[in-house]
Amino acid sequence: MVSFFISYLVPLLVLALLLWPRSGYLWRWRRLVRLSGRVLLEDGLKHLYDCEYRRRTASVESLAGVLEVPRSRAAEVLIQLEAMRMASSTVEEGVALTAAGREEALRIIRIHRLWERHLAERTGVSRVRWHEEAERQEHHLSAQETETLSEEMGHPAYDPHGDPIPTANGEVPPQSSLPLTALNEWELGRIEHVEDEPVEVYQRLIDAGLHPGVLVQLTRLNEEEVRLVADGRHHSLPPVMAGNLFVYPVDEEMPGPYDSLDDLELDESAQVVRISPACRGLERRRLMDIGLVPGTAVSMEMRSPTGDPKAYQIRGATIALRRHQARHIQIERGLDERAIGVQPTVSVEEQV
Amino acid sequence: MMQEHTPSEKILERVGSLRWTAGHDFHDELVESLYTDAARIADRAVTRKGERGRFDMDRTIDRLVTSRWLGFPLMLLMLTIVFWLTIEGANYPSAMLATLLVDTIRPLFHSGATAIGLPWWLSGLLIDGIYLAMAWVISVMLPPMAIFFPLFTLLEDFGYLPRVAFNLDGLFRRAGAHGKQALTMAMGFGCNAAAIVSTRVIDSPRERLIAIITNNFALCNGRWPTQILVATIFIGGLAPAHLAGLVSAAAVVSVAVLGIVLTFVVSWALSRTVLKGEASAFSLELPPYRPPQILRTIYTSVIDRTLIVLWRAVVFAIPAGAVIWLASNIQVADLSLAEHFINFTGPFGAVVGLNGVILLAYVIAIPANEIVIPTILMLTVLTARLSGAGDGAGVMFEPDSLEANAEVLRAGGWTLLTALNLMLFSLVHNPCSTTIYTIYRETKSAKWTTVASLLPVVMGFVMCFVVAQVWRLFS
Amino acid sequence: MTAEQTAPPKAAAGSACEACPAHHAANLIRLGVNMANWDFVVALAGNPNTGKTTVFNHLTGLRQHTGNWPGKTVVRAEGGFAYGGDRYKLVDLPGTYSLLSTSDDEEVARDFILFGSPDVTIVVVDATVLERNLNLVLQVLEITDRAIVCLNLMDEVQRRGMAVDERRLARDLGVPVVPTVARKNEGIPELLQAVADVAFGRIVCKPHRISSPPGLKDALGGLTDEVAAAFPGLPNARWVALRLLEGDPRIAEAVRSGEIADLGRHLSTRSAFATNSLAQEAGQ
Repeated sequence: MVSFFISYLVPLLVLALLLWPRSGYLWRWRRLVRLSGRVLLEDGLKHLYDCEYRRRTASVESLAGVLEVPRSRAAEVLIQLEAMRMASSTVEEGVALTAAGREEALRIIRIHRLWERHLAERTGVSRVRWHEEAERQEHHLSAQETETLSEEMGHPAYDPHGDPIPTANGEVPPQSSLPLTALNEWELGRIEHVEDEPVEVYQRLIDAGLHPGVLVQLTRLNEEEVRLVADGRHHSLPPVMAGNLFVYPVDEEMPGPYDSLDDLELDESAQVVRISPACRGLERRRLMDIGLVPGTAVSMEMRSPTGDPKAYQIRGATIALRRHQARHIQIERGLDERAIGVQPTVSVEEQV
Repeated sequence: MMQEHTPSEKILERVGSLRWTAGHDFHDELVESLYTDAARIADRAVTRKGERGRFDMDRTIDRLVTSRWLGFPLMLLMLTIVFWLTIEGANYPSAMLATLLVDTIRPLFHSGATAIGLPWWLSGLLIDGIYLAMAWVISVMLPPMAIFFPLFTLLEDFGYLPRVAFNLDGLFRRAGAHGKQALTMAMGFGCNAAAIVSTRVIDSPRERLIAIITNNFALCNGRWPTQILVATIFIGGLAPAHLAGLVSAAAVVSVAVLGIVLTFVVSWALSRTVLKGEASAFSLELPPYRPPQILRTIYTSVIDRTLIVLWRAVVFAIPAGAVIWLASNIQVADLSLAEHFINFTGPFGAVVGLNGVILLAYVIAIPANEIVIPTILMLTVLTARLSGAGDGAGVMFEPDSLEANAEVLRAGGWTLLTALNLMLFSLVHNPCSTTIYTIYRETKSAKWTTVASLLPVVMGFVMCFVVAQVWRLFS
Repeated sequence: MTAEQTAPPKAAAGSACEACPAHHAANLIRLGVNMANWDFVVALAGNPNTGKTTVFNHLTGLRQHTGNWPGKTVVRAEGGFAYGGDRYKLVDLPGTYSLLSTSDDEEVARDFILFGSPDVTIVVVDATVLERNLNLVLQVLEITDRAIVCLNLMDEVQRRGMAVDERRLARDLGVPVVPTVARKNEGIPELLQAVADVAFGRIVCKPHRISSPPGLKDALGGLTDEVAAAFPGLPNARWVALRLLEGDPRIAEAVRSGEIADLGRHLSTRSAFATNSLAQEAGQ
């Protein structure tokens, strides 16, 4: 009888070794193939563009680092790009893009950022994997497919990290945001861009609720740590990580701090103040669809056996929400409905 | 560069530059303004003075059926009661229908055929093949469906199903699936094809695919006759007579629950491999409980569901009946086609704890799972060369008692293992052809249709194989 | 009779006007699919399952299938009726929850309200879930200022112990609001009268417009002025500006080709009567 197990388990094991995602042989082989040829050239162009945009100098070393290839291979890529008249290098200015190279780089970046936006708004792919998926997709989409995608989404101007999506004609606005660390203490800024690499840092930043659109205030800045308040919560980050947040200074009041719908106890009620800026696109619209707009009275009605989801009383209906959604709804307890009903952001009288 | 621009071009140019300053959340802000205005205007116009909040009664029921300790046991209990009522209630009318359609009407047809002088092969094909398949499907399917669908619709109308979805959502979320999959799964207990259509309520394409692929693990009504019969003969038979009904119902419920567990496991596996992603936003309205309108429910569920599903089964039973009759009556080298297939697949069937008859039955029953049991009985008679049972080669028949069925099966070499594996395989095998076609129509993808069709067959064989090996190891 | 007396819409509007000729049902001539030489075009918008098609069938005498759910149909049904001697073409748009996203049926509905330039747009709403329905109403009011809200399912409202103050609603929305129970034909005469009144400009709407997103007031204001200056007579310059900012390709194309300009001209010459009233209104 044992022989039966062996005769079945062994082939299964072999198959697993071959096909297992990420660590299987097939996967690794595909990755090797990917790292050759066109893909490498396109990634190289993107790096050169990135350096130009962030006003840094590109070099063979920086290229090798980004492409994860040996220096010699990176040099080959550069030589090939120059032969294609996509890049030029001079002793004093380092490697730079030519007009044709910039156009090509913007084309790839356009696909990359459109795809990230598509993943963010229309799929359940986790935030930390957007970049990786888009890295793959950017080399495959045809010009036609790209335009269809863009049109379907209403020609979005920004990707989910806050970066501008180049237009089909290759237009991008000049960079306007600063690293968080450039703010003065107590100055307010709105997050415009969250660097999505390295993934570990990005994961920590978004776990802390630091998304594009969120208002932050720097409370302390020194060599060891950066302290800040965002959405009413206090955070402490190492300066290296804080440098991955790009903000632009704003002249506004700091809102909050607010509790979230998830903090409500059974039978407790509150009013909705707003939906967190971290919740965007379709997901945000769905929450508003069920009546979760500023001023709506809500109460916690029941808890499921597993504790998540919970059901809330919203405008006469009992509606179940999962925890990660409830956390996006910011509330204020014990407030008169009328006091919140008139939000400063909305005025009925105003007409054009 | 000073070029004469029309006003339109100037506007579009201006738009191009403004779009960058409009900010990322421009669209969201716009929607929010709109919805906030709508809410305020509605609040001013609508008064709800006559409308009380939630009734205390509703609240009490809700707290009970979603409570931490009682929520799941109550669901199980509800499921058992529904199955038990269906099993017990369907027995008698099924027997009556069989007597009427098979024992009374069929001989009339036969004598009619003889009177107008039909050749034997034509009357055999029409009456013993096609008509009998139809008669069997009607007598086996109509009574349980006429009981199950109204019961199910009553629960649905009462408002219990959304609570089931609410209770199960925690598990679906961990499996990376959509909370409304609980609803489509519940629909699948009725009919998988209908349930696949109902997955339209899930608007994330990834989660909808998961719901479609795993829907097959919800035991549809076409498969209960198999479950119920086998459980009654082989598992109910192990218990003392007065407990037999309950034990059989419990066995069927266990298989159904296994199906639910598989739904979670496969959803989980899919959302971590080929359909990678996070659970999307989910909001589920839990409507107030409504006293069910019993008569209307019975009427609409009989018209809308029972008859439609029954009609489909009958339509598919017609060619299947013809195939069975032909396969059993066309002889090649002294053996019928059916026997060739059974002998050929027999050894493989034995390895996975089934047999060639069951495998052939599942091939013939691809159009409709309902005809699995009659096909098995008929083919068993054929290969075991039993005398005195049934009416001969290729005639689908309904022996009058469970005892007779049991005897036929034991004579065909059936053991408790065969029965157990048949119940498992009946839960985990390819969807019927209508469901496959529906999956294709809904997904518009040959790839996912293939996955949804083949994944369960492969799983079924693996499960049966493992059970068979373990069984033989310990016996 | 008792049923009619308990129904608020009939009681409110019916008692005083019972004698006036406009309210005789006989005044309505159903023309079915025969709709040549119409004087006015009426669009019928609304969320799915609000009784929109029931209203359509009542007015035209046609029997469109009423089982409606989103995605079922993306084509529009057309029919005709005559009322008070004038011929109307009625266009039943696909039921949608919004005009914002880019699904096919929303685009069909949006394009007709905008480019089909109907003389009157009736928005049928389910009064029991007014708030959800108002989202669409407000979006329609952004595009056109000749709209009527048909407050349907008023019997359900009463059954649920709720009340909807239609006068308040009409004041807030700035357009006529007619309560109806379409499946019992209640309120349909009043609806017809309102359609005629708006078509002839006897009622001039001042529709509610959504407040501009706060961060965008200046940019949007400037762009709106530019659009209004370039295309005089356009009733929805701000909406066009918003759509342009959103990157709506269809609207950008209409601006580029000058189709938008035709729209402004078309609407301003359609009915001299209405334009005069509008001019008077603007002058005040």
